[in-house]
Amino acid sequence: MGMLRIISKRGDERLRWNGQDALAGDVEALAAIREAERIFARERARGATAFRVEPGKPVERLEQFDAQVSQIVMVPRVVGG
Amino acid sequence: MNMATLVGVLIVVLLPLLPWVFISGSYHKRPGAKRRAGELLRAVLTAEQYVQLIWQGYIDIPSPSDPERIYRVPRSPGQVQVREKGQLTQWLCLQPFDWVPDADLVVIHKLMIEADEETYLQKANSITPIAVSLFNGPV
Repeated sequence: MGMLRIISKRGDERLRWNGQDALAGDVEALAAIREAERIFARERARGATAFRVEPGKPVERLEQFDAQVSQIVMVPRVVGG
Repeated sequence: MNMATLVGVLIVVLLPLLPWVFISGSYHKRPGAKRRAGELLRAVLTAEQYVQLIWQGYIDIPSPSDPERIYRVPRSPGQVQVREKGQLTQWLCLQPFDWVPDADLVVIHKLMIEADEETYLQKANSITPIAVSLFNGPV
């Protein structure tokens, strides 16, 4: 399972997909991935930064959507305070 | 009792308290957002960071580029301390363009420091404590 989490004033909004079902050609799983990819691109265009956050692994910045990542966290645009 | 057992016991005891810690401050304002932010925080922090946050009110994040530097991120909104060899050397101020729950602020600092320290330092405003300026000259 993969999950996209977008930090916002509403807390984090979540979108899940099943990578294995998608590989097997499941239509709903493929649609969920396409939707996650669309939201990822939209948030990046708004200035958000994406991070790959997986248990037991170092956090990494993610430049492109990757459906194989189990958890992607998107941080909104930040400014110096 | 060894350290691993102690950490395990603390996690079991403290885990149920986390939502209260982040919700209690302003429960009446966007309670759902604060609950979700608390869940994300729990998913992103390591066990050690989580225990430190509960007990000490901040987490220390080692710099990926400098083994002698840590970033001390507070649980509540505020400045992040930069500490080198245990001494405070700078305060950093960085915030999202739009309001987010307090717990999400901790997540933002952690992710940016651990995965994109250079951008984090470029974007943050820094303040050097007067004592450091006097001894070291302008920074």
